[in-house]
Amino acid sequence: MLRYIAFRSLVALFLVWVVVTIVFLLLHLIPGDPAELLLSSGNVAADPQAVAALREQMGLNAPLWQQYLDHMAGVLTGDLGASFRDGAPVIEQIALRLPRTLEVILAASLIATGIGVPLGTYAAIRADGKADAVISFFASASLSTPVFVVGSVVILIFAQELKWLPAGGFVPFSEDPVEHFKLLLMPAGTVALSLLAVITRMSRASVLEVLQRDYVRTARAKGLPRAPILRRHVVRNALIPVLTVLGLEMGTLIGGTVLVEFVFNWPGLSGYLVSAVDARDYPEVVGIVMTISVLFVFLNLVVDVVNAMLDPRISLVR
Amino acid sequence: MKASTRKLILPGTIVALIVATVILAPVLPLQDTRGMDIPHRFAGPSAAHWLGQDEFGRDVLSRLIWGGRASLFIAVGSAVLAAIAGTTLGLLGGYFRGVVELFTVRAAEIILCLPPLLLALLVVTILGAGTWPLILALTILYTPNYARVVYAATQQVRGLDFVTAQRAMGTHPLKILVRTILPNVLPPLLVQMSLVVASAMVIESGLSFLGLGVVPPTPSWGLMIRAARGAMEVAPLLLVWPSLALAGTILTFNLLCDRLQSALDPRAVTAGGALWLRPRSREAKKPVTPVAAPAEAPLLEISDMSIAVHDMELVRRVSLTVRPGETVALVGESGSGKTLTGLAMTGLLPDTLRVTGGSAVYTTRDGTAVDLAKLDEEGIRKLRGDEISMVFQDAAASLNPVLRIGDQLGEAIQAHHQISGEALQKRIVDLLRHVGIPDPERRHRAYPHELSGGQRQRAMIALAVANSPRLLIADEPTTALDPTIQAQILQLFAQLKKDTPGMGMIFVTHDLAVVAEIADRVTVMYAGEVVEEGPVAEVFARPRHPYTAALISSVPESGAERLTAIPGTVPSPRNMPTGCRFAPRCGFATAECESRSPKAEHPAADRVTRCFRWENVT
Repeated sequence: MLRYIAFRSLVALFLVWVVVTIVFLLLHLIPGDPAELLLSSGNVAADPQAVAALREQMGLNAPLWQQYLDHMAGVLTGDLGASFRDGAPVIEQIALRLPRTLEVILAASLIATGIGVPLGTYAAIRADGKADAVISFFASASLSTPVFVVGSVVILIFAQELKWLPAGGFVPFSEDPVEHFKLLLMPAGTVALSLLAVITRMSRASVLEVLQRDYVRTARAKGLPRAPILRRHVVRNALIPVLTVLGLEMGTLIGGTVLVEFVFNWPGLSGYLVSAVDARDYPEVVGIVMTISVLFVFLNLVVDVVNAMLDPRISLVR
Repeated sequence: MKASTRKLILPGTIVALIVATVILAPVLPLQDTRGMDIPHRFAGPSAAHWLGQDEFGRDVLSRLIWGGRASLFIAVGSAVLAAIAGTTLGLLGGYFRGVVELFTVRAAEIILCLPPLLLALLVVTILGAGTWPLILALTILYTPNYARVVYAATQQVRGLDFVTAQRAMGTHPLKILVRTILPNVLPPLLVQMSLVVASAMVIESGLSFLGLGVVPPTPSWGLMIRAARGAMEVAPLLLVWPSLALAGTILTFNLLCDRLQSALDPRAVTAGGALWLRPRSREAKKPVTPVAAPAEAPLLEISDMSIAVHDMELVRRVSLTVRPGETVALVGESGSGKTLTGLAMTGLLPDTLRVTGGSAVYTTRDGTAVDLAKLDEEGIRKLRGDEISMVFQDAAASLNPVLRIGDQLGEAIQAHHQISGEALQKRIVDLLRHVGIPDPERRHRAYPHELSGGQRQRAMIALAVANSPRLLIADEPTTALDPTIQAQILQLFAQLKKDTPGMGMIFVTHDLAVVAEIADRVTVMYAGEVVEEGPVAEVFARPRHPYTAALISSVPESGAERLTAIPGTVPSPRNMPTGCRFAPRCGFATAECESRSPKAEHPAADRVTRCFRWENVT
């Protein structure tokens, strides 16, 4: 087991390095000078002298490989550089905003798993019946509706028409816990809806597959009642692929909550990225993309390890 | 037309309608998408503007159709471009492997390390917003998906005989790729394509919604939703139309993808659900009121039992008797119905199969007679594992891979007894020792994959005998094992018989050597019918049915003068001979055999044969 985790961690580290390098190269090799971009406003060209000074100050005149080495050295020591825009350390902004994004994803995952697994299991037991058709249709429908559509419609219904919830915004938990959760409800619910569809479909397929297995027949042959068979032999085994999918989906969400954060004015990491890309703020973009990909890769690692723990066969296979 | 193909019509038609509408947009009598009419901004639906007017007084319907044109153009365009790029990479990587694979498929997969929306955002912001940067971004994004699918399919096709043959004949690889492999990977490609169109629309509309996609004043659904959000208080309907159009179109493409998948992949059509899990599924069967059994009743008496799938009879009028302490071997080729007969005794027949006639009367421990064929799920559950147990053929598949052996065993005991803690542990270890698993104190914590094949089968047997059942059904318990292990497992069964004198056993097998070793009586089945029955020694010495005789002379150990194979194969249930089912393969068959089906006859008091000419057989 330990060897397995070590091996997977090495692969993960390599992937992170690849991503950091690609993002670095991508941003440095494309045409366009960030110093010029920073100093110019509208159609007025920037003062060439000021641009040159700023380039020197930002270290943009050094050869690319040196910039790359400096950058990698910084990454290893936890220093992601200072923002071009306001000179504040990038790591601080990330530390402030990342938890907010993770909070939405975590809340959404809890909602989606809590409802999706029972719903999918029920649909599988009633496969090809009316309940299954209804559940499957709703899963397809919510999977087909983009998050910003759901978000906008949800605001229209709950904030605009019913006036139950505020339309969007963010209040720190420490200031007002009740308001904090009220504001969390809609973004988390919106993300949960599409996640719910994925989990439901996956659970249904997985349970259907497990039901065909011989060991379920063995469990029946023992004379076990329905509930323990379902719990210990069907759902437990069916959960393994579902958890894998959940992990992968959560990873995708870390960078994919841009739209939800935009719709609900949630000041998370994704929104920060959009504005950073817009301003060509290299340290910010590289820092955020790196954070996201590290989390993404790390999450995949966790998924694999959890899988290995749930399924004792895996550690031997590798 | 197959049902799965018919199901394609609905999403196919809607997709065709949507595509036709947006292609015909320039010739449709639509209002100008940019024609502003400020005085009538936010006007509701009217004869001139069916869906009303937006924040600049522009016609919503025509903007909806033109917006769909922009969305679909980008989505389909990037799906096609990504398909071309991805298919090329996948074909090359899958066919040549090695270094080529590294630089094609594996290189493309790096893109999958980044969250999709993030990548699109990066590309678009670097190149600026607009239709073409969007197409480029989406093409890059979806290329690895195609590459993976085509790679997998290519590898599969590559290994097929006709491709190997072409390679051996020296056909140019490019020709093989285009002529032979490409047509074969088309189905998965088609599925992937409809999936990508739907997914590309999600990302395109999302970026447009953020103001990073389609540039105004070109209409687009994402932009329309963005604008409508600002005017939510005044005109909530403006939000509804583009939302419906967007979600509806994506839903249709997703539906098309799902149905394409099931139409192209027949394996996906599995038997759905599990009836035994539905609480009221067996309500047709009423609980059986127990009747006191006569004193000398056998343990199990199956008479004239038939099993059918839909209207196709798989097992016809089977009769079989097991007395306490007796071992009955059930012999036949695959497809003879012997396993189904065993499964029916525990109510574990697959959902599509039904016992359609006859009875299977079992005498319980407390002396009551119950008909197993009529028992409801709850009634038979109480018997399963406690009174009637089953050992399955494939122990590796029949044990839950993620639970420890000891836990699976404990569960079987607890299903019928109030026992836990130390006492349960002791019972588990004793059982494992009893079936000959070495070091049971430690082995009970092992997972099934940590045991050898023989030990797994021993664990399986321990499960079956955990509650000292009175009837043990063993379904080919030695077939999947090595010959040396087979002998050990047979010894274990013999030992169990000796230790529990009252236990009856049905031993399903196709191996006559096994029958001679373990059984007291033998029942021979052919094509769903019992053809011969009797004490093992007598049947082997003097078979009274040509099929039994043929079976015996096809076994090397039987001492037959020369081995003879039985010509032909078991008839399929769809195509049963009208007369005797064995007649087409029988050396004794006469005209009568082919026209009439023989009744069971009794050559001796405890012998049964289903043959007109039994007197001539031996």
